[in-house]
Amino acid sequence: MQPVHLLKKFLGHRGREQIPFAELFKRFQDILDKNNAAMELIADMDGKMGGDFVFDRKYLTDSVHKLKQLVLANAYDLNFITNNQFLAIYDTIEKLAKELEIELSGQMVIRETRRIYHLNEIDEGMEDTVGYKAYNLSRMVSLPKIDFPEGFVAAIGCFRDYLAYNNLFEKIASLIETFKKEEKSVESVSTAIGLMILGGDIPPNVRREILNAANKICKGKVEGCYFSVRSSGVGEDGELSFAGLHDSFLNVRFGELLSAFKKVLASLYNPASLSYRLKMNLFQMEMAMPVLYQAMVPSRTAGVLYTLDPNNPDRPECILSGNWGLGRVVVEGQAAVDTFYVSRNTPHAITQQKIGSKKWMLAPLKTGQARKVPGKLRDKPCLSPLEARTIVEAGLILERFFKKPLDVEWSLDEGGRLWILQARPLKIQPAKRVQRPELSEVLKRHRVLLEERGMIAYRGIGAGPARLVTENDDLSQFPAGSVLVSRYAPPRLAEIIPRASAIITDIGTTTGHMATVAREFRVPTIVGTEIATQVLEPDQLVTVDAERNIIYEGRIEELLHHQLLEESAFEVTREFQVLRRILKKIAPLYLTDPNAPNFTPRGCRTFHDIMRFIHEKAFQALLQTGSNPRAFLKRGGKRLKSQIPIDLILIDLGGGISQKAAQQTHVSPDQITSVPMQEIWAGLSSPGTWNMDPIPVDFKGMMSSVTRTRSSEVMGNSLPGVNLGVLGADYVNLSLPLGYHFTVVEAAVGPKPENNYISFRFAGGVTDITRRSRRASLLKNILEKAGFKVNVNGDMVNARAIDLTDRQIRQNLHLIGRLIGFTRQLDVLLKNDADIERYLAKFINQAVPPEKE
Amino acid sequence: MPLKILILDDEPIVGQRLKATLEKEGHNVETFVNPLEAVSRLEGKTFDIVVTDIRMDDMDGIEILELVLQKSARTKVIMITGYATLEVARESLAKGAFDFIAKPFKLKEMRQAIEKAVDALQQENPGNPAGN
Repeated sequence: MQPVHLLKKFLGHRGREQIPFAELFKRFQDILDKNNAAMELIADMDGKMGGDFVFDRKYLTDSVHKLKQLVLANAYDLNFITNNQFLAIYDTIEKLAKELEIELSGQMVIRETRRIYHLNEIDEGMEDTVGYKAYNLSRMVSLPKIDFPEGFVAAIGCFRDYLAYNNLFEKIASLIETFKKEEKSVESVSTAIGLMILGGDIPPNVRREILNAANKICKGKVEGCYFSVRSSGVGEDGELSFAGLHDSFLNVRFGELLSAFKKVLASLYNPASLSYRLKMNLFQMEMAMPVLYQAMVPSRTAGVLYTLDPNNPDRPECILSGNWGLGRVVVEGQAAVDTFYVSRNTPHAITQQKIGSKKWMLAPLKTGQARKVPGKLRDKPCLSPLEARTIVEAGLILERFFKKPLDVEWSLDEGGRLWILQARPLKIQPAKRVQRPELSEVLKRHRVLLEERGMIAYRGIGAGPARLVTENDDLSQFPAGSVLVSRYAPPRLAEIIPRASAIITDIGTTTGHMATVAREFRVPTIVGTEIATQVLEPDQLVTVDAERNIIYEGRIEELLHHQLLEESAFEVTREFQVLRRILKKIAPLYLTDPNAPNFTPRGCRTFHDIMRFIHEKAFQALLQTGSNPRAFLKRGGKRLKSQIPIDLILIDLGGGISQKAAQQTHVSPDQITSVPMQEIWAGLSSPGTWNMDPIPVDFKGMMSSVTRTRSSEVMGNSLPGVNLGVLGADYVNLSLPLGYHFTVVEAAVGPKPENNYISFRFAGGVTDITRRSRRASLLKNILEKAGFKVNVNGDMVNARAIDLTDRQIRQNLHLIGRLIGFTRQLDVLLKNDADIERYLAKFINQAVPPEKE
Repeated sequence: MPLKILILDDEPIVGQRLKATLEKEGHNVETFVNPLEAVSRLEGKTFDIVVTDIRMDDMDGIEILELVLQKSARTKVIMITGYATLEVARESLAKGAFDFIAKPFKLKEMRQAIEKAVDALQQENPGNPAGN
């Protein structure tokens, strides 16, 4: 028997004895406290992702260890109060902790034995599995507004399978030994290995998986479906060092995908590659070759963009070369092409162009043959100024992401749509880096607009015209490369973050949604400046130094260049990458819906999920100790006296209700001392929230009618038929399962924004599902405007707001209070869809009073 | 005026990141992860500022501190450590350390400590800020 099962059996005997209510509360309070401590720790780690801190491995190890201890202690408390109902949570914790330990040790985690990965399935840190070319592409495909051809990679597993299936490991190794000992020439060794590889058979599983993946991309129509097949090398230094050493094939027909696989594999051992490895002493590393497959774009014009001129890296210019047809003639420099020098600054004007006499082009698809360029096109520029601008804009978005000058392969299809095929770091020789005057001297010449205001959420340098974004702006109009300036940091701004060159907010913290997204897309970000929206003029050109926390007037090329040409950005340090990887197993919250089938110990994917799970289950255990108001009143619950038609029992965890009311069975609203509950109540009881118009049915009767069947239907059996508020001084959990809806609000208010949150869940109603879904989406609008992140699933609304300032959280709780009142009445008041609109308009009109400083 | 700065920490990340930041400020920076190598370098060259970790496998940062000050009393030594205890801080300050920073730290904190050291160097030797 497994130790865990033994433990389960043993602990199970502790029996079903009733745990005293007071003990239950104490444990629940403990869980809340430890969750808070854990959230602070996670926020602290997440904050380190901004690049402003120097931290070492010990910090990472210690943090993970502390986190595990907190979560384990909570798991213990949960099992204590539920008579060991959730022993499986220990397995989840141990499994996750084990994975984190492996990440921390810096070992390459052999994640999966999968052979094929689609580009959008490649995770952080998988560069050794899929090779650098595929890995870099996979990082880029998540950037919005840039199109990449669909593709997949035959990962390192395919390579190993191939060698094993054909018994090639040892043969190749011994041939390479002869080369290293100079017993045989590089050509003869290369030819011998090449022949062995090309003569091998592809293992059936690899064959099947490659063809399946390709077939999916061709959507079953393999005729006329073409691929590029490229090497995606694995190596210490990224693909840079091996650039051009391995083969790529364009216009590969479906029927040739497998032979192309072998050809790319063979190119791993071509003479240039072998000589390079010998010279660089790289033979101790495993030689392996993932192979990247991408759908071909039928291109009208294609070419290469250098985001900097390698010969004049100080000039704010990109070099763009192109030709008609496929881009290979440009990449390989074989034929005359058009060359454009395009300004790096908006609006990216062409400063100089050399139109080549383009005699030859590669015809798109089918033949892929070189053919003569039709006479009338030969001397015509292959790009319009607008197209050049589009390409440069995309290239600079990628450059901002990688913080390196790039070499980008692009293609325009017949419809003029831009596709990015590849992007790799552009090598700029140190000798070419012009000695410039002392940076600090240059900086002195620029006017400082803001200094040491707020906090750095992501380190780096960005410049562009300041663009003030307000609540009602159409975000799709945000110009790429602008500096995003905003009063708040609401989640809705996430969609434009990847297009911003830098971000500045008046209010916000390094732990908020937006800071997290900014880090994901590596956009230099300063939050909490308080006055940026007042100081910065619309469209004023600014340079944001999110390293020293200074905002300068104008565009300081020297500063931007210094960053681009820096040897290595902090993002590539090992500690930073490890932190990034471990945070993926710690910080995200996937379990947001307690009614979802995966809301189980096994369904927890991160430490945050586990914390959420424990919290929810502990709370349910608390509620399940009674099934009616009497049961809770008997145990110290107090009934709230008020004019509002809502029968509410309050339970005090400590500090939630005035000491003076300790002996009472009824309390009045002014005896509530729980800060979040006070705010909710203020909203709930504010004038106009409860409609006092004459209504068709007995309203009060309707509200108090206990429709237990309905509520247990929507909530499983997790809630008793009681409107219950559990209060702490800075905590509230309000579950209102009665009537035709259920609402659950949970909130914490504290001095630290990272511990503040509000979660709001709502579902139900007696009307048909169309109207309920409609209402759900209307609620979504209201909540999103207030800065909540909202998920709607059918008629279920799940909203969550985190990282709020004291004022924001109070305003939002007030709003929630009003929403509760509003939603309670909907079914009674609403007779048709027009009513919904009318009441909604009314609700919004009474919305939160405008904010005053 | 560029300063000569030596950074010693057995975690490579510390030197790596400080070097990038301080070179941007115009200083000349050398980094070491091995205390013994750092010692031999310190014997051959006088630095304006030495930044050293306190706990390392081969050698104690306090020993480095003593060694540096013995050779060049005007050198400012800044101590860093991941095990910040008051006791260690007190000991290193008593033995003549210029400042003390606990890991993890913000680059700004280190910059400020360096700026303070520059001011101190200038005050001690007004005509020649770097003390050369």
